[in-house]
Amino acid sequence: MTRSEAGTSQDVSGTQETGLAARPSRLRAIVDIPEFGVIAACVLVFVIVTILQPRFADAGNLQVIGLDLADYGILTIGVGIVILTSGIDLSPGSVVALCAVVSAYLNVNDNVPVGLCVIFSVLIGAVIGFLHGWFVTRLDVPPFAITLVTLTAAAGGALALTSGQPISGVAFFYQDITLSKVGGVPVPDIIFVVVAVLAWILLERTYIGRQIYAVGGNQEAARLAGIPVKRRLMLTYIISGACAGLVAVMVIGRVGVGDPSVGSGWELDAIAGAVIGGVSLYGGEGRIVGMVFGILLLMLINNALIVLNVNPYYQQVALGLVLGVAIVADRIRARSRGQARPRGIPIFGARGSNPKPGGEPASAA
Amino acid sequence: MTESAASHVSQGNADGVSLRRVSKTYGLATVLQVAGLVFRNGEVTGLVGENGAGKTTMLGILAGTVMPDQGGDVVINGEPVHPGSPIASQAAGVAMVSQEFPLVGQLSVAENLTLGLRPQGRGLFFNRKSVAAVARGMLERVNLDIDPYAPVSSLSIPARQLLEVAKALGRDPKLLILDEPTSALGPVEADLVIGIAREHAANGGAVIFVGHRLEEVREAADRVIVLRNGRLVADMPVAEATDDRLIKEMVGREHLATVTADHSGLARPTPVFTAEDLTAVGLGPVSLSVSEGEVLGIAGLMGAGRSRLMHTIFGAIPRTGGTMTLAGASYAPRNAGQAVAAGVALVPEDRKQQSILANAPVRWNVTLATLRRLSTRGFFSPKAERVRAKEFTGRTGARFASIEQPIGSLSGGNQQRVIFGKWFAAEPKLLLLDEPTRGVDVGAKAEIYGLIDEARARGMAVIVASSELEELFHLSDQIVVLRHGRIGRVLTKDQFSKEQVLLTASGVKEIP
Repeated sequence: MTRSEAGTSQDVSGTQETGLAARPSRLRAIVDIPEFGVIAACVLVFVIVTILQPRFADAGNLQVIGLDLADYGILTIGVGIVILTSGIDLSPGSVVALCAVVSAYLNVNDNVPVGLCVIFSVLIGAVIGFLHGWFVTRLDVPPFAITLVTLTAAAGGALALTSGQPISGVAFFYQDITLSKVGGVPVPDIIFVVVAVLAWILLERTYIGRQIYAVGGNQEAARLAGIPVKRRLMLTYIISGACAGLVAVMVIGRVGVGDPSVGSGWELDAIAGAVIGGVSLYGGEGRIVGMVFGILLLMLINNALIVLNVNPYYQQVALGLVLGVAIVADRIRARSRGQARPRGIPIFGARGSNPKPGGEPASAA
Repeated sequence: MTESAASHVSQGNADGVSLRRVSKTYGLATVLQVAGLVFRNGEVTGLVGENGAGKTTMLGILAGTVMPDQGGDVVINGEPVHPGSPIASQAAGVAMVSQEFPLVGQLSVAENLTLGLRPQGRGLFFNRKSVAAVARGMLERVNLDIDPYAPVSSLSIPARQLLEVAKALGRDPKLLILDEPTSALGPVEADLVIGIAREHAANGGAVIFVGHRLEEVREAADRVIVLRNGRLVADMPVAEATDDRLIKEMVGREHLATVTADHSGLARPTPVFTAEDLTAVGLGPVSLSVSEGEVLGIAGLMGAGRSRLMHTIFGAIPRTGGTMTLAGASYAPRNAGQAVAAGVALVPEDRKQQSILANAPVRWNVTLATLRRLSTRGFFSPKAERVRAKEFTGRTGARFASIEQPIGSLSGGNQQRVIFGKWFAAEPKLLLLDEPTRGVDVGAKAEIYGLIDEARARGMAVIVASSELEELFHLSDQIVVLRHGRIGRVLTKDQFSKEQVLLTASGVKEIP
């Protein structure tokens, strides 16, 4: 039997399980890109809203969308990578608040140089991520539970440190980061693009990235292929935490103070962005391109609803519906490819009734 | 056996379960087309066919999980069954033991057994004790001595399989479907299941017994039917169902395999791997050694520690004592990663749970263990990966449309070939195979044996654990029989016989 490239139609005689052979068609190839739907939706929303309300495409409004996109986008990438391992991180919003407050506090009250304060912010985020990873890998705490602890505690910590009052008088360097532009593009968006490209390289071009997918796709198979599962899990939580620390710096610059109440609920938008972009909550599936366009779609719709003067209550409904459509569309696509829904409960990271390897305990014949 | 055969003659084919003009098409592909077929009461019908022959579809139609095309009927003892409804099929008396284990892991044995039955207590509440009592009764029927309160997730795969049988029997079915019930079992448990099938038929029920092991099908069945490409190609009394005949009907061509090759010339005396007093929880002490190009077989009943031994050598289960050497050097892996780095590979027993990334492309699966070596400073080139993936799937003869296809869409045999390719790429010195042909069809089995021959020809030392003795006899140069985690006996090629293995494995006779 000759094996041939995908695209020729006669390549699978004899194996009925391979199904219908792929037929070459450029259009088909484009539509088959998993992210096609979300990219098309972004274009569609942009065009339609611009026709309805030309103000939507104004430079000023695009700047607003751009700044939001940078904040949420970086969080989405961090959370998205955690979700690839079939984990979850609920803490980024609160970590943003805590890092922002600590960074501003050090800068204002302890006169720590602003450069160090920026680095500290990212480091604190990374350390929090490390702790998440430690609990998840060493004590088998469900990711949902341990990051829920941080969601609550970090938000509370930020408020406690400041007695609820924003820390003002921070160095101008923060504003310089957030409000400067290079060639008309806000610096935060450049940072976002850099983060996205680095994440893409990690996931698509390094063996570590592939191992992250493997851990999410089938943790036991990954372990038995010799992959250091715990280290890979640890890395994803550190990345997510560091992303939140980075966003904290940009947020201080945007509002000009270390605001302890910032970031509340952002994690949900970040998770939604990743899921809309095709990241499977069961782990092992999803790409950076999807995450980027997923959060972009969310930001576009968010802004469009404001520009179109939609009742704010309905804005929430609309965003919920977008998420619902994305999840349903993903399941339909998976079904049409004949994939079974993996066992286990998403978010809780548990893989249902995995037998312990080689474990033959109870029965003696 | 004679008893039930007689009863089936006396009852004739007036009642039982019949399929009339039943077919199933997906798009343009017809996967099943059966004009008429009766599973008679009081008879065990053996069903064989290669993967993709339509067995699963036919069973699915009987169990109500697959909706047949319009125009056909399923009739149970004269009553037509509403098609495509699992609840209707169950109510009509169909119970199926499937290859998958749809047990609820977190629930206890007793709760799983009584799941879907009417609660034993009053109102909404159920009585823990009476549930356990019912469960014990059901477990006794399959000779399974386990705690009814134990969570199913703590059971081994064979125990779960027997639990499935107990659960199906507990529903007092008119038609009992056993879909490869023995594929996860050792010889003694397999005999037990065969006995259960015979008994159910003797009590007037109809039984369908699906198996890859032809000998077991023969042992269980009164008659054997063969499906090929969705059609019924043969229906014969068990006396006519010889290996040659069945394989010919299944494959539709002459059997290609070389079933009795002599490998003794290939074995070379350099020891590649040795273990001295190896122990782990529930294992050992075990001492053994394998040479270059040698295949060491591991036999034993379920729970004897076959998988445990493999996983301990692979570093996937913590070693509690003893020493190992690999290629002359000390070998003490603390995890699977170190084992792979040292040159050991493991093809685990449960492909779906332990081997494959089902939704990921073939390419990812075949390079999974070696992508790191393919990378320079952490980065790999996609082109190099594709070349590598094609090379090693090609070498193992895996068939698919494209390396970008999800591996889960391939047949069991092809998935296993990809897994072999994954480990061949790692060029291991020691290859550990745990039930390497579980759930693959006859043709693919012969090809996997070919791959094992290739591995030995390349100088790998191979350890094969299998519950199929014919397989071990065919492959091994020596066989170690495990009993309760220890070596009961070592058999050399001239001593291979089922009796010797079974006597040692079951501890009937201790031979020094």
